[in-house]
Amino acid sequence: MGKYLLRRVLQMIPVVLGTTLLIYALVFALPGDPVAAMFGDKPVNQAVAAQIRSEYNLDKPFFVQYLLFLKNALTLNFGKTFAGQPVISVIGRAFPVTIRLALMAFVFEGVFGILFGIVSGLTKGKWSDQIILVISLLLISVPTFVTGFILQYLFGVKWHILPATAGASPGFIDLLMPAIVLGSVSMASIIRLTRTEISTNLSEDYVRTARAKGLSNFQVTVRHILRNSLIPVVTYLGADIGGLMGGAMITERIFNIQGVGNTLYQAILRGEGTLVVSIVTIMVMIFVVCSLLVDLLYAVLDPRIRYA
Amino acid sequence: MTDTTMNSNSRDSNAEVFFPDPLPGQERFVASLDQTPLKEVDSIDEEAPATSMWADAWKTLRKNPIFIISAILVVFVVLVALFPSLFTKQNPVSCNLENSLEGGGGGHPFGYDLQGCDVYARVVYGARTSVSIGIMTTILVTLLGGLVGAIAGFCGGWIDAVLSRVTDIFFAIPMLLGAIVLLQMFRTSTSIWKIVFTLTLFGWVNMARITRSAVLEAKNLEFNTASTALGSSPMRNLFRHIIPNSLAPVIVMATMSLGSYIVSEATLSFLGIGLPSSVVSWGGDISTAQNLLRTNPSVLFYPSAALAITVLAFIMMGDAVKDALDPKSRTA
Amino acid sequence: MSEQTQAESMKSELARQQVANGPLLDVKDLQVDFTADGHSVHAVRDASFNVYPGQWVAIVGESGSGKSTSAMAVLGLLPGTGKVIGGSIKLHGRELVGLTRKDYEDIRGRQMGLVPQDPMSNLNPVWRIGTQVKEALVANNMDVSREKRSQLAKMLASSEDVTLKGQDDELFIASADLPGLMDEARDAVTKAGKADVDQAIEHFRSEWDPGSETRWGVARDLIAAGVDDDEAWAIAKKYVKGSDMNDRIAGLLSEAGLPGAVTRARQYPHEFSGGMRQRALIAMGLASRPDLLIADEPTSALDVTVQKKILDHLQGLTDSLGTAVLFITHDLGLAAERAQHIVVMYKGQVVESGPSLEVLQHPQHPYTKRLVEAAPSLASQRIISAKERGQDTRSLMEHHTKGEQALEKSEHIIAVEHLTREFKLPRKQEMFKAVDDVSFSVKRGTTLAIVGESGSGKSTVANMVLHLLKPTAGKVLYEGKDTSGFGSREMLDFRRHVQPVFQNPYGSLDPMYSIYRSIEEPLRIHGIGDNRSRRDRVKELLEMVEMPSSVMGRYPNELSGGQRQRIAIARAMALNPDVIICDEAVSALDVLVQDQVLRLLNDLQAERGLSYLFITHDLAVVRQIADEVVVMQHGRLVEHATTDEVFDHPQRQYTRDLLDAIPGGKLSLGLD
Repeated sequence: MGKYLLRRVLQMIPVVLGTTLLIYALVFALPGDPVAAMFGDKPVNQAVAAQIRSEYNLDKPFFVQYLLFLKNALTLNFGKTFAGQPVISVIGRAFPVTIRLALMAFVFEGVFGILFGIVSGLTKGKWSDQIILVISLLLISVPTFVTGFILQYLFGVKWHILPATAGASPGFIDLLMPAIVLGSVSMASIIRLTRTEISTNLSEDYVRTARAKGLSNFQVTVRHILRNSLIPVVTYLGADIGGLMGGAMITERIFNIQGVGNTLYQAILRGEGTLVVSIVTIMVMIFVVCSLLVDLLYAVLDPRIRYA
Repeated sequence: MTDTTMNSNSRDSNAEVFFPDPLPGQERFVASLDQTPLKEVDSIDEEAPATSMWADAWKTLRKNPIFIISAILVVFVVLVALFPSLFTKQNPVSCNLENSLEGGGGGHPFGYDLQGCDVYARVVYGARTSVSIGIMTTILVTLLGGLVGAIAGFCGGWIDAVLSRVTDIFFAIPMLLGAIVLLQMFRTSTSIWKIVFTLTLFGWVNMARITRSAVLEAKNLEFNTASTALGSSPMRNLFRHIIPNSLAPVIVMATMSLGSYIVSEATLSFLGIGLPSSVVSWGGDISTAQNLLRTNPSVLFYPSAALAITVLAFIMMGDAVKDALDPKSRTA
Repeated sequence: MSEQTQAESMKSELARQQVANGPLLDVKDLQVDFTADGHSVHAVRDASFNVYPGQWVAIVGESGSGKSTSAMAVLGLLPGTGKVIGGSIKLHGRELVGLTRKDYEDIRGRQMGLVPQDPMSNLNPVWRIGTQVKEALVANNMDVSREKRSQLAKMLASSEDVTLKGQDDELFIASADLPGLMDEARDAVTKAGKADVDQAIEHFRSEWDPGSETRWGVARDLIAAGVDDDEAWAIAKKYVKGSDMNDRIAGLLSEAGLPGAVTRARQYPHEFSGGMRQRALIAMGLASRPDLLIADEPTSALDVTVQKKILDHLQGLTDSLGTAVLFITHDLGLAAERAQHIVVMYKGQVVESGPSLEVLQHPQHPYTKRLVEAAPSLASQRIISAKERGQDTRSLMEHHTKGEQALEKSEHIIAVEHLTREFKLPRKQEMFKAVDDVSFSVKRGTTLAIVGESGSGKSTVANMVLHLLKPTAGKVLYEGKDTSGFGSREMLDFRRHVQPVFQNPYGSLDPMYSIYRSIEEPLRIHGIGDNRSRRDRVKELLEMVEMPSSVMGRYPNELSGGQRQRIAIARAMALNPDVIICDEAVSALDVLVQDQVLRLLNDLQAERGLSYLFITHDLAVVRQIADEVVVMQHGRLVEHATTDEVFDHPQRQYTRDLLDAIPGGKLSLGLD
């Protein structure tokens, strides 16, 4: 287990280097003036442009630029926004809300995705399975922002059951609908994945052997079918953290939540390239660390991995 | 004593001593021959029609109502995308502010949006953007991801190691975030290609992973060894055996992800970094209509419904194809 | 009482009890249907058989005969759409057909156990072995401190010399009490002074497994070592006080023949070899001491020697526990060797049943006759007994072996010299020698068989001869030329003359290729003929392997294993090769189909003077096809001689073990 951990951490290093390099290269090494591009369709502010140039060491060779960027990133020094605030403090203010939102969405998609997936998988072909399957297909097909608008309109505007927008310091109730919207697509995917896994596992030989040992249907279902079916689901959940962070941008915008996603969206609107790169870099780092944690969880759940 | 032991040993092999009489119900029984006529050893049923895997899959698909419905929808959407003028006489970009938010009626079944554009015409013309981006991205992703995956799986060794690490790097960047970084550089461009290339750049990874494992699996099957022993070269094996045998999961993946690329394009346009509002697209229209949610939800509804139905059609088709090509997932 | 009469009186006592109590399992007119696409397929039709307490009954048949389906119907575990639609299944006189799920759960494990076929897929990979044994104990509320013996076992035990004392004679030793017991046992044996102390202690150490050895067993062992009766019982009572769950799990595993059971119980299935997994499955099947054990081809996936060991062990275990066994197998020889009663199934019906030796010696139904004729184990047995009687064996053999002189005169078509192949093991420094300095030669027009268990390196040799794998050292000569020096043109020529037929009939044909394309492929690769002549050639080849030309348009998934293997042979024959290398080419096939393919190979050799290198783990098959035999073990060549020599005068212990392991070896066939 220790060796496995070490190997995974070591494998993470080139991924971190590669991803940051890639993002950096996308922003600063493409043809054209990256600083001008950061201003988008707005006129170039020469003073700010000069500030960006020196902050990002754009006068130096590319790899030096990158290494300096990396050094700054590691020390959480991401420079300043157009408005003159340190980027890190802007992000720091926005993060708690987003983390709360993402966590709620994560719990929602995990709990309900697995629950409905189990019901669907165990009652394959019956009406409950068919209904769940149709709903999950619909959720996957309808883009998040459309689902968001529909729920916002129905629950927020029409029926006034839940707040339509979140506001400055949102609580649990304010974030409930955004979290459901954020988690809905992944929930549908988890339903489908769990269902497939369960129906595959149902016909495994070891399930039959467990029944032959005299285990009750409940014991067989919990200990053999569910235990084995959930391993790929856990992996999916881990990989989905990245999706949640991207999706947060849409939900935060629809429900006007002052989180990282919204900050990122505003930065895009204002054409504030440095802020965009910084936020994306941080999100990618979080994603990489989460993937590592999920990998470790995977190894705990599946003994075969540990020795592979 | 020694004598008796030996004696008993030799008698061990003599059945009659050990099992004197059959127990009740275990007497000798022989079925009459006409009850179970004896067939040739390993005879071939010459009656059954011959079917290849593809023919088999096609037969399954034809009988699947989900496939038929989704295929009709897909064909319809593609027709709309190819010949929008067949479906509406209106011009989606000739708008008149006088008509702003006017309700439906006459030749304008869906009414007008805030700019006074005909919503029905915009929905019809928006299909082209969505469908072409979906199809183009799928083709490019399949080519790029398929190539990288096939090379990694087929060559193995250090080539595989390097390509797999590169794949890991791209995998670590969520598609939406990567697309935002890249697209904010090209905000003013109206070409759909910027979306296609961006989605390809951050979307090929999954295809590469699936192709790699499919190729790896096909490569280790015995028929490759058999072909090599017949004198076939590795390249011939790759093209004649390995690639045809790893196509199924790639096709399934391509069909299913086509819908998701359409969603991604709409999302990017919705976030304002996709196509500018001068290009008619469902995502863009949804984005501009969102402020009308409380007052005129129908303007928001039509492009959303068109988008959802299109994506649903592609995903359902992908599902059906998957069921047909992968016998394991078939419902018994 | 002499041993012989004692054994006999026990047997007759057993028979008396069996008749008095009636059958344990009684299956009458069983019908099982599967539904597919709306219409039903009859998998089992009107099958009747019964099993008495403590008896081994074998169901024999080819794949698809309904033998496994019948067994699963008894367990109430029919897969998919399978359903019992008629007949009755009675266990202890209780009807099982139509039982509720709950009632069936109560019966499974406690009254019926299962040892399944494939050890690789029947253990859940995510749970420790011990946990999976524990499940069986917990689910059936087993008392882990004492043995649960059937009435039959008690009856059998009571006829031994030790008198039972008290009711709690069935308690197990706990691991915590073992050291104290050992010390006192040593003192007692020393004091008694009747046996060699160290030897006795050694014996105790091997016998007294915590969670498996009972108080009664300890007392018996002490008495046997010369300790006075009362003292022995006093010691046993003092220390043997019942075991806990972990002891019992380890005890069950060591009973099933798994050494180091305590450590093994903490391991996961992927750390076990196939044989070890099968032992763990046996421990699970017997954990709750069922009256009936259903063993569904329990050893088909294992090497013959392992198979023999495991079955010997299982038989010993079920005999001592009084467990009845319903033994499902495709091997008639194995069935006759292990079971008293045989049920032969064909196409879902019982075609013949009766006492095993009687069925074997006088098969009545044409299908049974076919089986008896085709079974390789029985065939080689026939040859042996014919030789013992000094009869001419030539008529019995499909393949007429060439004599030693003939072999010496013929030229070598393939020769391997000091062939060695090393592999790097993952995360280990030293290299693993899969093949270690192997030399032999195949003579033109003859068959050389390489025999060995899995991991003996025999397939690695085949791959090196085929030039699919580079040797680490040594060389392969074809027609006297070193193949390692071949350029691409010479290599293509070599490929044309040396063709393989592989083991897995499902893997060696490309599922995307029609039969025509598959057979045509070698012609195309070597650029032989045009489309029309190739089509004629394919037709000719199909005829050669006795297949109708109508299969040309079909795909491999529509053919059976044997049919695919015949297609593979046709493909190998397409280029008119000199040598065919068969790597376990018939191992995956049913006996009748195997026999058919072997006949085909023999005929082709006789007609065309082909030379075969025949790789197999099954010595019984060797007798039917080979002129010379090479026996391999751990990558080394341990014996090399003519087939008759190897069978009649095996030089090495390993070869003798392999010969012993051929099922049915101890049967007397009565060739009259």
